[in-house]
Amino acid sequence: MLKKLQTLRKRNEHLYSVLFSVVCMAITIAAAAIYGGTAGRDPSNVTLLFIFSLIIISCNTIGYFYGLLCSLLAVLWLGLTQDVSPGSLFITFLGMAAVTIFISALISHSTTQSELIAEREKQLAEAGLEKTRANLLRAISHDLRTPLSGILGNCLIFLENQSLLSEQEKRQIVTNIQESSDWLINMVENLLSITRIREDRPIINTTDEIVEEVIGEALQKMEKRHPGCTIHVTIPDDFILLPMDVVLIEQVILNLLENALRHSGSKEPVDMVVEDEPDYVSFTIRDYGIGIPENMLNSLFEGTYYSAVHAPDAQKGMGIGLVICKTIISAHQGTILGRNHEHGAEFIFTLPKKK
Amino acid sequence: MTARLSILVIEDDKSICSFITTTLSGNGYRVRAAFTGREGLSLAASLCPDVILLDLGLPDVDGCEVLQKIRLWSHVPIIIISARNEEQEKVKALDMGADDYITKPFGIAELMARIRTSLRHNSGSSPATTYRALDLEINFQKRLVLLQGKQIHLTQIEYQLLTLLAKNSGRVLTYNFIMNNIWGPYIDGNNQILRVNMANIRRKIEQNPAQPQYVFTEVGIGYRMRENDAVTAL
Repeated sequence: MLKKLQTLRKRNEHLYSVLFSVVCMAITIAAAAIYGGTAGRDPSNVTLLFIFSLIIISCNTIGYFYGLLCSLLAVLWLGLTQDVSPGSLFITFLGMAAVTIFISALISHSTTQSELIAEREKQLAEAGLEKTRANLLRAISHDLRTPLSGILGNCLIFLENQSLLSEQEKRQIVTNIQESSDWLINMVENLLSITRIREDRPIINTTDEIVEEVIGEALQKMEKRHPGCTIHVTIPDDFILLPMDVVLIEQVILNLLENALRHSGSKEPVDMVVEDEPDYVSFTIRDYGIGIPENMLNSLFEGTYYSAVHAPDAQKGMGIGLVICKTIISAHQGTILGRNHEHGAEFIFTLPKKK
Repeated sequence: MTARLSILVIEDDKSICSFITTTLSGNGYRVRAAFTGREGLSLAASLCPDVILLDLGLPDVDGCEVLQKIRLWSHVPIIIISARNEEQEKVKALDMGADDYITKPFGIAELMARIRTSLRHNSGSSPATTYRALDLEINFQKRLVLLQGKQIHLTQIEYQLLTLLAKNSGRVLTYNFIMNNIWGPYIDGNNQILRVNMANIRRKIEQNPAQPQYVFTEVGIGYRMRENDAVTAL
């Protein structure tokens, strides 16, 4: 019943206001009539009753009209049933009108306020989305152009100078092409995974997955891409079921592990630690290398930095990978952060458990 | 090898096709390529190849349709070539009778391993009596599972699961296939029970469940067991 009223209120405010006023006035008049029948009645109490009812009506109807109309009705009723002089009746009416106008003004003011706030929040969210998208596009174009120009350049050298190149040089050229292509494939896989997250559906399709299976498969892929890389995994003994889009989470793990291998500048094995907390599961990927440069720490996941200091790294930028990690984890309602520890860098992401 | 084994590649992308054909002929196979589904179907019928590599995204007919038509009259091993992000397609193809799949981009070693595995499973030789890989040994007749020479105790279901995987070692088995084989066709579609059992098996035979040595997970598709060393490779 209440729910129906609420939906009615949203759909047709005027109808709701009329209904509300009629019901309220009917109850008040009935109450006043009953009170009027009792001995030792006092007209001022009846007036008080009406004022109280008018306050409720003004709070729950839109505009000034319904409150004023009800005040008029109340005064009419008072005039008809109580023996009061027209002069004091007029003053009562003025008082009631003042109360309703005051309350209605207060209410409409606060609703416009909250509407303004909601509007503003929406704009901010959209601007944020727009900003992420713009950053992503910029990062993508940058990250794609570099290896592509590399491939094209190498191909041109090969085709135009074939007879002049030594076997070793040829080999080097083809190896360069291969490396750039590998990088591009990686990038495209990242982009493909983003397409699984659609804007109109902020929550992705998750299934219950066993954490160790997901990590196991991610490590297998890692081994395929970087034969001989060592990653130490620590995982709780109990098996953990966690709702997730497994392809996306695998992508996050791969991106973070790959960053750890590429950018740490160290051959130390990478640690991966899974911890089972009451409400969430946390995944830590820790390397023992040079750490994250200070000036990048604050904008790691925004894809905005291409620091001149890190020019050699810029080609195989961490740019897009981390932006995508952030997008994926946010879509899972999880958190992700990157920071330095004593001997290198670590990235921690969490995924919430099923409620 | 007396006669060279023949392989039919049905793939519309010219450069991937030439990569595969060059690799395979370099490894001693006879290779024919078809660029469309119809061409592939007629070549499959006329050549009777030993293995078919089939791309799911063909220009004229759906790859799954080609698969179904070939399966009407032949048990030739079919390996699906597919792009990532197509788990559903892969599972569908595997459940429709494909033997295995390989995801683009793939390396030469991976492709050769898949072909060898499917050829072996189709060779019709008497099934192996033992499974041996690294430290794990399974004796199918004595129903014994040994890890580093020590016997491992498995429940009935766990043993059935492990032997099913071991007898099909190197091949991916879909959740559906395993469920049907172990629990029969009337079990409901929820594969949770299978995965819980697999998690228990992992705890018994793997050193670190997150870095398995024997049973690998293909998330969203099924499981694949490490190749059986006890069988002489082709």
